[in-house]
Amino acid sequence: MTDADIWKSLTDIFRDLFEDPDLTIAPETTAADVEDWDSLTHIQLLVAIEQAFSIRFNTGEVAGLNDVGEMVALIARRTA
Amino acid sequence: MQHPSDLRHDVLMNRDEKTMPDLKALIQAEHYDEGWNRLLDEARSETDYTRFLSLCRWHRRLEARAPQRVTKTVKLALLGGASTEMLEAPLRLAVASLGLGCQIHRSSYNLFAQEMLDPGSATAAFAPDVAVIVSTPANMPAWPEPGDDLDRVQALVDEACEHWLGLCDRFHAHTPCEIVLNNFHALPTRPMGNLGAKLPWDANNFLRRVNLALGDRAPNYVHLNDVEGLAAQYGVRHWFDPRYWFHAKQPVSFEALVPYVRNTARIIAALFGYTAKCLVLDLDNTLWGGVVGDDGPEGIKIGEGDAVGEAFKAFQEYIRALKQRGILLAVCSKNEDANARAPFRELPEMVLKENDFLAFKANWEPKPNNLREIAAELNIGTNALVFVDDNPAEREIVRQWLPEVRVVDLTEDPAEYPRLLDDAGCFEITTLSNEDMQRVAQYQGNARRKQLQESVADYESYLQSLEQRAVIRPFEERYLDRITQLINKSNQFNLTTLRLSRSQVEERMQDPNMLTAYVRVADRFGDNGLISVFCAERLGDELQIQLWLMSCRVLKRGVERLLCNYVAEQARAFGVSRLHGVYRPTAKNGLVRDLFPTLGFEAQRNGRAEEEATHWRLDLDHFSPFDVPIKHVEDY
Repeated sequence: MTDADIWKSLTDIFRDLFEDPDLTIAPETTAADVEDWDSLTHIQLLVAIEQAFSIRFNTGEVAGLNDVGEMVALIARRTA
Repeated sequence: MQHPSDLRHDVLMNRDEKTMPDLKALIQAEHYDEGWNRLLDEARSETDYTRFLSLCRWHRRLEARAPQRVTKTVKLALLGGASTEMLEAPLRLAVASLGLGCQIHRSSYNLFAQEMLDPGSATAAFAPDVAVIVSTPANMPAWPEPGDDLDRVQALVDEACEHWLGLCDRFHAHTPCEIVLNNFHALPTRPMGNLGAKLPWDANNFLRRVNLALGDRAPNYVHLNDVEGLAAQYGVRHWFDPRYWFHAKQPVSFEALVPYVRNTARIIAALFGYTAKCLVLDLDNTLWGGVVGDDGPEGIKIGEGDAVGEAFKAFQEYIRALKQRGILLAVCSKNEDANARAPFRELPEMVLKENDFLAFKANWEPKPNNLREIAAELNIGTNALVFVDDNPAEREIVRQWLPEVRVVDLTEDPAEYPRLLDDAGCFEITTLSNEDMQRVAQYQGNARRKQLQESVADYESYLQSLEQRAVIRPFEERYLDRITQLINKSNQFNLTTLRLSRSQVEERMQDPNMLTAYVRVADRFGDNGLISVFCAERLGDELQIQLWLMSCRVLKRGVERLLCNYVAEQARAFGVSRLHGVYRPTAKNGLVRDLFPTLGFEAQRNGRAEEEATHWRLDLDHFSPFDVPIKHVEDY
C-alpha cells in the first residue's frame, strides 16, 4: 500500500467519522484542529482505522497516536 | 397525517438502498419529530458501535435544537470501578431510545466506593433515581489462594457479596434509589485449564459462585446487570479487550459497548414501567413456513421432519415461553380469517393454539389500523406493542405510522427468529409478580365477562351477577413490587401520573402521615389481582391525594366508588375533615377528567386552560357512602 493510498483511505475515515465531506488532513493535524475530535471520537478513529486497514494497534501504540502524521507512519509500517 | 404517501412508497421500496431521507437531511430540513423517530428507531436496532457513536453525536445535536418529548426524565448516577466516560453518551441514547429522558452524573474513576459511603458526596447530593455501578472482575476485593478449600472459598464468596451488597445497602440508606449492579463476566484465560471446573479456588470457578450468591442475596432495590450471561453470548474475548483496559480502563470492548449500554438501559426503562406487554405476530413465514392461503394448511412448514418446519416450531416454543411469563399474544395477518385459523385448528404440530391469542386480526386492512384495534381491545397503549413480521414493507409501514410500536427486524432465516426477538429485549422486567404469571388467565376472564355482559339485560344486573369481592388495605411489603409496577405503567385511569420508584413507595408506606391503599378484586370469573392504588398525605385538616390510579381491566365496575367510600371512612379516622384532589391532564388520562365531580367533589380555584391541573374538594361531613356492587371483604 502506497502512502497515497493510506492518505486517501484515512481522509475518507475522517470525513465519514466527523461527517464533513470537505475535511482535509495533513501530517501536523491534531485533535485541536478538528471540531468534535475528542476522547470519544479519538478511540472511534483508532477502531475505524483498525477495521479499514485490517491491522491491530499494540497496547503501547494506542496512547501515542497524537497527530495524523504519526498515524500514517504507523499504518505504513503495519501494512508494509 | 405526517406521512406523505410518496415518501412512504420510496421507503417501502428502498429502505436498504438508503434513498430514504437520512437523519442528517431530516434535521437540516427541521423535521424534528421525524428526526427523533428515526434516531430512536436506529438507536434501538444499530449494533455497530462506530455507527452507534455517530448516532450519539446526532442525539446531542438534535437535543440542542428540539428536546425530546418525554413524560419522564430519570436522574442516573454512573459509578465506575472502571472508566465510565465512554459509556455516558451511549447510555443516554440507549435510555432515550426506550422513551425515557435521562440526566447523568458521573463519578470519577474508581471513587465509587467513597461516593457510595459518604452521605455528603456529590453523587448523594445529585439524588439519583437510579445508580448504575460499573464493576468488573478487576474490582473484586479478594481472590482465593491456590489450594484454598471449599469452606475458605465460600467465606470469600460471602465477603465479596458483603462488599458489593454492603456498599449498595449503605448508599441506599442515605440515598434511596434503585441500584443496577453488574455481575461478573468470566475471565478470558484459564490458567488451571479444564481442571479449574473442579477447583473452587480457580478464579473462574470463584466468579461463578459469586454471581450465584449475588443473585440469591441481592435485595429488591438491587437489580443485577447480567454481564455474565451477556458476555457469554458475545464471547468473553469479544466482550473484554485488555488493550483498552490497560490503556483507559474500559470495562467492555468497543464491540460490546452497544449491547452493554442497551442491556443497562432496558433495566432502567423497566424500573419505570417502560416495557412492552403484548407481542403481535404475523402468520405466513413468521409463525410457519409458506403461505397458508396458497399452500393450504397441509402445505405449510411447521413441526418435525423438515428443518425449516422445526425452526418455525422452535420459534413458536420461544413465543409460548413468553406467554407463560405473562406476555399477551395477538395475531395480525393479511389473510382470509378462515385460512388464517385453519393451521391452528387442523395441525397438531402447531405449538401455539388459537386460544393463546387474545386478539386475532386476519383481514386485508393496513396493519397499523389492526394494531390500534388490538391495543384498544386489550386496553393497553400502542406503545406496549411489539410487532413481528417477516415482511420488511409491513415493518416499515408500522414504523412510519406508529413510531411508538417496537418493531423487530427479522432476517430470512427462521432459525434466527428466537434470537432476534430475544436480542430486541422488549419484555425486560425487574420483578415478576404473581399478576404477571396470571395475566393471560385474567384477560381470558375478561373475554368471558364481555360475553356475560352481552347476555344480561342491563348493566347494573350485570355487575351484580359478577359477584365481585374486593380487599382494600394499606400498602404492604408483599405487594410493593406490584404497586410500584402499577404506579409506573398506568396512564389512562391515573389522576396525577406521579411516577415513583419502589423505594419512594416504601417511604410512603412507612410515613404515618400518609394514607395508602391498594385494591384487589375477584369475581366469579377469577381473580383480577391488585388493580388500584391510592395514596394521600395529611396536611393540617385535609388529606391531599397524591396518587389515584386503576388498571383499565376493571373499568366501570364500581371500584372507584368503593375506594372513595373506604378513603372517606379512613380519612375520618385520620382526623381530617376534607379530601383535596387534583387532576393533572396528560395526553392519555382524559378518561378521569370528570372523576372528582362524579364522586361529589366540588371544584376549587381551577385553571382555565385545557392543560392545567384542576383542584377538587370533598367535605367529609356531607359525604354519604355510595351503594356499590362489590362486597368489601377482609380477604378472598
